[in-house]
Formats: sequence, C-alpha cells, structure tokens
Amino acid sequence: MKTIFKSILFLSVLLLSSCATIISGSRQNVEITSEPSSAKVYINEIEIGQTPVQKNLKRNQEYQLTLKLDGYKTYETKLEKKFNAWYIGNVLIGGIIGLVIDPITGAMHKLKPEEIDGNLKRGTTYETKSGNIFIKISMEIDKNSEKVGQLEKSK
Amino acid sequence: MKKMTKILFLITVIGITSCSPKISSNFINPQPKLSIDEKVALLDIEHNLPKNNIIKVGELRFQDSGFSTDCSFNSLMTQARNEARKNGANIVKVVDKKKPDLWSSCYRLKIDLYKYDADVSSLPQYQLKLD
Repeated sequence: MKTIFKSILFLSVLLLSSCATIISGSRQNVEITSEPSSAKVYINEIEIGQTPVQKNLKRNQEYQLTLKLDGYKTYETKLEKKFNAWYIGNVLIGGIIGLVIDPITGAMHKLKPEEIDGNLKRGTTYETKSGNIFIKISMEIDKNSEKVGQLEKSK
Repeated sequence: MKKMTKILFLITVIGITSCSPKISSNFINPQPKLSIDEKVALLDIEHNLPKNNIIKVGELRFQDSGFSTDCSFNSLMTQARNEARKNGANIVKVVDKKKPDLWSSCYRLKIDLYKYDADVSSLPQYQLKLD
C-alpha cells in the first residue's frame, strides 16, 4: 500500500511539475463580441477583424483593446495579466521545475479585462469557460454623431 | 522543511514580480501627452529620422531584469509607444538593438523619442505584429 501511495505521489509531482503550463497552456483564447456587432477590433492598435472575433493571445503580455464603430463612442480597455491559480499547484505539490517553467511560458497568468476600483469598464461583461475568455461589450451611442441617411441595396 | 517552504515562497515571489523587462528612461524635453488617436511611428534601426521639424523628447532603455519573459521586440515596441504617448513623443526610434542570444532570451533596446511636427504615418516605419 505504501508503495502505491509513494508511486502516486511521485507521479503527481512529476506530472504536476509545471501545473499551469500543462493545464492552461502559454496562450489564452479570447473571444470578443459586441452589441451591435461588426465593430472593428484593434489589439495594441493592430486591426484583427470585426466582432464577433477571436484571437489566441500570449498570457504573459498586457494588451490594449479598442473597438470602433460608426455612430458609437470608441471603446477602450486593457486586457491585464492576472495570477493563474493553477500555479499554486506547484507550491502545494512541490514542483520546483513548475515554479520556474510556468513564469517562463507565461502560463502563471490569465488575461482579464481591466478593473478600476473593482469595477469593469461600463458596458463590459465577461466570462471564463474552460480557460477561454468571452468578452461582451455594449457600445455606447455617440450623441455627437448624427445619422444623415442609409445606403440601399440596388435591385 | 521550513527552509524548503522559504525557498518555494521566494521562487514564487520572484516568479510573480519579476517577469517584466527593466526600463530606464530619461526625458529631457517632455511634451503634452498624446491621445490614443494620434499616430506614433515606430522606426527600426534601418529607418531614417526626418531631417526637419523634429525635437528630441527623451531616451528609453530596455534591459533584461534576469527574470524577464515579456520582452519580445513587438512587446518592447508597444511599451515604448505607450511611454512615447505619455511624454508627447510621436516617433520611437531604435538606436541600438541586441537580439536574444546565449546570455539573454530578451531583446535589449536603446530608444530615442522625438516629437515631429508633421504627419508621421507617411514615414517608412516598422509594422507592429501580435506575438
């Protein structure tokens, strides 16, 4: 019985020696949707497409997220790197290798929209499912912009 | 056992706090802050500075802190652009670039920041990419 216990413990230490890297990976899938849709999405001022859009981002960086849509105010927020709880697995199980590997791969972080005084930017909601983050943004109408007409499809 | 816990705690603290590159700055002539809508040109070693209407705002230096992981060229240029905007510069010019090598896994850059009184989008420049 002792041998089995020791074997399980040894395997756990070996397998969980870089917990966050194994469980979460060094990148995080970020899906961005907006209401209304078709807003242009920029990450670090690089256009990545129109909403809904998804991008696989490195966890060890912070990103500037900007959405632009005609008739609506430009939306800006930061995607910040926060502590990924899987990193604690290394401390609990004693995986010294993991304590070094996880920061190098960036897996010890997870991306989250910026919070100021504990509140997300107005119009922002997000949820995390199986390590992926889904961000929904309600665009605010720009009162200074006025609709003067609409193009019609020719028949 | 206590010693082991201390070592684990120390590694954890180092791991959490020291993943960013070391940035030193020297601003000799700060200008009014730029908004996000104002363009900033990123000039690599091979790109030339415009000859007229240009003021030097300051210098930046990115070094490897020893535990830096977020130190790719694109990441450092993004950070330099943010610093430039804060200090009113619209040109980020790389003056010295050391690529990752045996001694460091990081890019190490010396950067000059300038304020240019004209449209920077017409200058030949480095196009930032997402890593």
